[in-house]
Amino acid sequence: MIDAPARFASIADFEGFARSLRSQDRTGTRSVRLCMGTGCQAKGAARLYELFEEAIESASGRGRAGNIEVKPTGCHGLCQRSPIVVVEPAGIFYQQVEEPDVAEIFRETVLGGRAVPRLLYQDPESGRKLEAAEEIPFYKVQQRIVLSQNGRIDPTKITDYIAAGGYSALVKALTSMTPEEVIAEVEVAGLRGRGGGGFPTARKWRSCRSAAGGPKYVIGNGDEGDPGAYMDRSLMEGNPHSVIEGMLIGAYAIGSEKGYIYVRNEYPLAVKYLRTAISQAQEIGLLGENILGTSFSFDIQINRGGGAFVCGESTALMASLEGRPGEPRAKYVHTVESGLWGKPTNLNNVETWANIPHIINRGGKWFAGIGTEKSKGTKVFSLVGKIANSGLVEVPMGITLRRIIYEIGGGIRDGKKFKAVQTGGPSGGCIPAEHLDARVDYEELTNLGSMMGSGGLIVMDEDTCMVNIARYFTDFLLNESCGKCTPCREGLAQMRHILQGITKGDGQAGDVEKLQALAEILSGTALCALGATAANPVLSTIRYFRDEYDAHILDRRCPAKECRGLFIYQIDAEACKGCGICLKNCPVDAITGERKAPHVIDEQKCTRCGTCWEKCPFTAVLKV
Amino acid sequence: MPTVTIDGHSVEVERGATVLDAARYAGIWIPTLCYHPALSSEASCRLCMVELDRGDWRQLVTACNYPVRHDVIVYVMSERAQQARRGVMELLLARSPDSQELKELAERMGVKGTLWPKVTESQRNCILCGLCVRVCEQIIGKSAIGFAGRGADRTVAAPFRQPSEDCIGCGACAAVCPVGTIEVRVHKDECEVEISPFKSRVKLLVCKQCGAPILSTQVCEQALRNVGWATCLPMQACSQGNVGMGRKSAHATFWPELRKRLRLCPKCRRLQTAGRVASP
Repeated sequence: MIDAPARFASIADFEGFARSLRSQDRTGTRSVRLCMGTGCQAKGAARLYELFEEAIESASGRGRAGNIEVKPTGCHGLCQRSPIVVVEPAGIFYQQVEEPDVAEIFRETVLGGRAVPRLLYQDPESGRKLEAAEEIPFYKVQQRIVLSQNGRIDPTKITDYIAAGGYSALVKALTSMTPEEVIAEVEVAGLRGRGGGGFPTARKWRSCRSAAGGPKYVIGNGDEGDPGAYMDRSLMEGNPHSVIEGMLIGAYAIGSEKGYIYVRNEYPLAVKYLRTAISQAQEIGLLGENILGTSFSFDIQINRGGGAFVCGESTALMASLEGRPGEPRAKYVHTVESGLWGKPTNLNNVETWANIPHIINRGGKWFAGIGTEKSKGTKVFSLVGKIANSGLVEVPMGITLRRIIYEIGGGIRDGKKFKAVQTGGPSGGCIPAEHLDARVDYEELTNLGSMMGSGGLIVMDEDTCMVNIARYFTDFLLNESCGKCTPCREGLAQMRHILQGITKGDGQAGDVEKLQALAEILSGTALCALGATAANPVLSTIRYFRDEYDAHILDRRCPAKECRGLFIYQIDAEACKGCGICLKNCPVDAITGERKAPHVIDEQKCTRCGTCWEKCPFTAVLKV
Repeated sequence: MPTVTIDGHSVEVERGATVLDAARYAGIWIPTLCYHPALSSEASCRLCMVELDRGDWRQLVTACNYPVRHDVIVYVMSERAQQARRGVMELLLARSPDSQELKELAERMGVKGTLWPKVTESQRNCILCGLCVRVCEQIIGKSAIGFAGRGADRTVAAPFRQPSEDCIGCGACAAVCPVGTIEVRVHKDECEVEISPFKSRVKLLVCKQCGAPILSTQVCEQALRNVGWATCLPMQACSQGNVGMGRKSAHATFWPELRKRLRLCPKCRRLQTAGRVASP
C-alpha cells in the first residue's frame, strides 16, 4: 500500500512527499526488473517472478540479501526475446530467460555483480554479446518518451511513478499555468492525435473548451483493435498513471470534471492496472473533488468494451459508453460540441494523453524539436510479422521505414526478402520496397496510399501473397463492420466476394476495375472512417502489386505460392532421396516412385493439400 | 436565415434545417430510403448523397442529416453526386433484387440494373434502413424490435429472434417499411394479429356485431391510456368475456355508449348510426 498521508490537502504537501520519494538514497539497492507484460507472461514470466522472490527470501535467510528487490514491470519492448529480465544497478539485459536460469542470474549477477554471457543478447552482425539494453540496436535507434518509464516502474505502484517524476506536470499546470496556457503549450508542441486521425490535439481541446454547454467530458480511447497492434495495451499495462496524468491536465485545460477510459475487455491486465492506478490516485487526492486542495475536480471511470472493432471510432465509442449499440453516427456536428450524451466531449487516444505530461514538463518547444515539419514528437509502433525482432518500438516522427525495419527490427526473418509493410492497421495500405525510404509522418504515409493509423507495422516477406493479404483485411473489416450503412456492409461483401474468387482461381478479367469502382463508392459514401478507409488494403495492393492480381486472374498462378490451387507441387528429382515419406502420407495416392529413386507427383490426382511439402525431410517437394 | 443554393436555386431555411429540407422546400427531388420526417435521421442508407461546396474542394454529404448552419452551396445533379447515389442504389439492388419498390426508385434515379451479384442475405428484401426500428422506439415507445447481428449478418429482429412480448401489434413498422418487408397478418381463427417476419402475435378486438377484427387489443389500450381513458375501459378480447371493468364515472350515459361503440367495427358502427338516424 502507499506509504503516504491518506489524502494530500495541498500541492505543497504532495510536492514534499514527491521530493522525499525522488531523493531516496538507492545506492546499494539491487533490483531485478522483470517484464510482466502480456507477451512475457505468456512465456512464463509470472513463474520467474515467484522464483526470484524465493531466491531473495532464501538469501535473506542466510543474511546475504541486503537491499534486493524484484520489480514486476510493464512491457520492455523486445517481445521477440521474451521473457526479459534486467538487473540493476548495472542494467544487465537478459533475454529468453527460463526457469532454471533464475538461480544462476541471482547468484552471478544479483549477488556477484557479474553477467551471465549465455543469456545476453548477441549482436547478429558482430557476434558480440551486449550487456546493456542501450547497446542493443533494437533500443539504440529508438527514442523513448511515452515509453520512457515502461519497463522501469511497477505499474501497480503510484509511488514508483511519482518517484520517476510523475504528476509533476500536473502540479506545474495547476500551480503556474492557466488552462489557456496549457492549450497554448500543446499547440506549440504540435501534437497530433495518435489514434490515427492525426488531428491537432490543441485545436480539439480549444474547440471543446469554447463549446457551449456542459458538463464537458474527456475520454481516453484504449479500444485498440487492429490485428497485431498492442501499443496502447502495453502503455496502459506498463504505465497507466501517465495516461491518467495526461487526462488530468487535459481536463484542467478543457474545463471538464468527468473522464472515461474505454478499454477493450480483451485486455484484462490493462483494465486491472488502470483500476488500481485510478483508485491509488483517488486515495491520495490526485483524482476526485478538489485535487491537491485546489478548486479543480476531476474523476475517471473505466469502461470495458464489448469486443467491437468499430468502437474505436469516436462516435461509436460514445454510443457504447452511453449503453447503446456501438455504431457510429455522422459527424457533421463534431463531438467537441455534441458528444457523449450530447455534451461537449474531447476524445483522445491513450498514447496522445500519455504525451501530455512530457510536453508540460519539458515544454512544447522541446517536443516540436523532434520529428518533421508537420508531424512532431515520437510514435509508438508495434512491429510484427515476418520480422526478426518483433516488438514495441518508439521512434521519432520522420524516421524512414527502412531504419525501423532493418536497424530496429533486424530485417526479415529467416533471411527472406522484404516485400511490403502494412501501416495503419486493417484500413491501412501496403507499402512496397521501393518506398522503404519514405519518412514516417502523417502526410507522407497518406500520400503513399496508407496511413499512420494507431501504429501497427506488419512486415511481409516474399512468401506473402498480396491478393490474399487484401482478402484477409477485407474479410476482417467486413466482420467488424457494424452493418449500419449500405456501402460498408454491401460494398465490402462485394469486395470480399471478388477477392475470394481471385484467390481461388476464379478471377475474371475486369475484376480489378470492379474492385476500384467499389473502392470509390466506399470512400465517397461510407458513414464512418472504417468504411471510408476500408478499401485502402485493396487499393494499395492494386497500386503496388498489380502484377500479382494479373497473375492470379490471367495466368491462374499465385506468384507467392500461397493461394491453394494456383500453384502445383513437384518433386525435385535431384533432392529426392526416395525415402517414401511423401508417398505414405499422400491422402489421394498421387505420388508414385520406387524406394531410393526420385518420386513423382501425378498432377491430375493431386489435390494440392500440401502434406508432401510439409512432410518431406529433404525439402525436395517444391511449389511451382 | 441561411441560404441554401441547390444546383443554382436558392432557398432560405431555418438554421439547423437539413439540406434535404431545403431541397424539398425548393421542389428538388433527392431520393431517400431511410428518411422519415417523423423520425430521427440516421443517414444509414446513404442514398441521399449530395455534393457540398467547401470552397477549394467538394465533399459528399448525406442531405437528410446535414445541418444548415450558414449559407451553403450544394450540388444534387453533379456527376459525382449522381454517381455516388447510383453506386449505393446498385449495391442495394444487389442485396434485394426482387423488391418492386426498390426497382421503381432505381428507375426514377436512372439506374437500369446492377452489375453486382447477390452476396448478402436479406430477409424478404429488407434493406436495413431501420425505419421500423426507429418508429417502434421513437413513436410507439415500445422498442419491440431492434437490430441483431453485425455487418453482413445484420437483421431486424425482436430480442433473441423470439416473438416479442413488447409488440402491441400496431403495424407502424409495416407502415413505414419502404420495401414491403414487414407485413401485418390477421389470423381470423385465432383472433390474432401477427407482425411478420417477427412472429409477434397480439389478440384482436373483434366486432360484437359481425365478428370482424377491429384492431389489436393492446393498441386500443395504449391509445386510450394516451388520452387518459384507460381506467374507464372494459376490453373484450376474442370470446373471453370482459377483460376489465372500468370505474363508474360521472358520465354514466357516456361510458356505456362508448364501450358499446368501441366493440363495433367501423362498418357496423356506421350501420348502427344510420339505423338510428332512420328510426329515432
